[in-house]
Amino acid sequence: MIYLGIILGSLLGVVIGVNAPIISYTYSSYLAIAIIAALDSVFGGISSVLKKNFDLKIFLSGFFCNAILSILLTYLGQKLNVDIYLAAIVVFVGRMFTNLTIIRRYYVEKWSKKVQEVNKK
Amino acid sequence: MDFSHILEKKCEVNKMNKEKIGLALGIMCAVLVFGIIVQIKTINSTNPTYSSSNTVNNLRDEVLKEKEKYDNRYEELEKAEKELEKERESSTGNNGELTSVEEQIKEGNKLLGLTEVSGEGIIVTLKDNTAQVTNSLLDASDLVVHDMDVLSVINELKNAGAEAISINDQRIVTTTGIVCDGNVIQINGQKVGAPFEIKAIGLSEQLAALSRPGGYLSILQEYGIGTELVKSKNITIPKYSGSINFKYVHNQ
Repeated sequence: MIYLGIILGSLLGVVIGVNAPIISYTYSSYLAIAIIAALDSVFGGISSVLKKNFDLKIFLSGFFCNAILSILLTYLGQKLNVDIYLAAIVVFVGRMFTNLTIIRRYYVEKWSKKVQEVNKK
Repeated sequence: MDFSHILEKKCEVNKMNKEKIGLALGIMCAVLVFGIIVQIKTINSTNPTYSSSNTVNNLRDEVLKEKEKYDNRYEELEKAEKELEKERESSTGNNGELTSVEEQIKEGNKLLGLTEVSGEGIIVTLKDNTAQVTNSLLDASDLVVHDMDVLSVINELKNAGAEAISINDQRIVTTTGIVCDGNVIQINGQKVGAPFEIKAIGLSEQLAALSRPGGYLSILQEYGIGTELVKSKNITIPKYSGSINFKYVHNQ
């Protein structure tokens, strides 16, 4: 169900995205950081579903807070001539890997348990 | 880390909740993919060449941003000019003297190239020779359209009575210079690259004599430059986008 939702959502995104107009180049760096934030949220969402503590409010507020904070940091960085957005990317990508580890462990353990059960029989 | 507790609570989430979660994640994925695709399209359309050098990238960013700013300002300017035109028309509408002055201004702008004009004329297209330089007998410089070629064509068109000329939408006005700028040419200070689409308004039969045997186009054809001449009843030539400021000439 969850993965079906993700696949359908992605397809919908492709359809809308292909037909959407391009944005101004000035804002593309902000969109880039928002994309990373969304990617982090999706991974976080999947791993929290597996951990059984998924909460819609936390999921959505997390996405918006992360995206807004990182966009503000990017803006501040441009004003100060420091690439602060790199810090946001490092944090997001780091969390993505952590969440990926959780997802991977869950499925590997599920699979090895299955194998054990089959062997017992 | 121990994840066995996760597996124990496996069946706790009910069906309803799972649908909600799927929907939320689906929407998030739609937003994500939408963003990625828009971003890819933007990057492809504005930054087609990849450069590994950070400085070059930053400089290109700067240039693109400045260009965007310029375009936005230019749009604003055009809007303001249209408003000005309207204001002028409405305020001079019922005054005969002012109307004639207004007409004079319009006429002057037309001659200066500060208004968009249309009429019959020709469109000449000059394209670089596509042949590859395979031996040293061929000179790569012979294969491209030079500033001098464009200049000669413009000269011949003017001689044939062209009243308005543009090259790739750069209007030729009294202050226009056509100069070589590496592998492109500069017209009105703007970089213009091949293929050159030269539009000229005038008596089209007369202008079309450009393609006569022994004319400049036939010389270019001998070098393998792609030339194309089309007569048209309705050609639109844009106005000069810069400003003409004379500091040193005075009326006597």
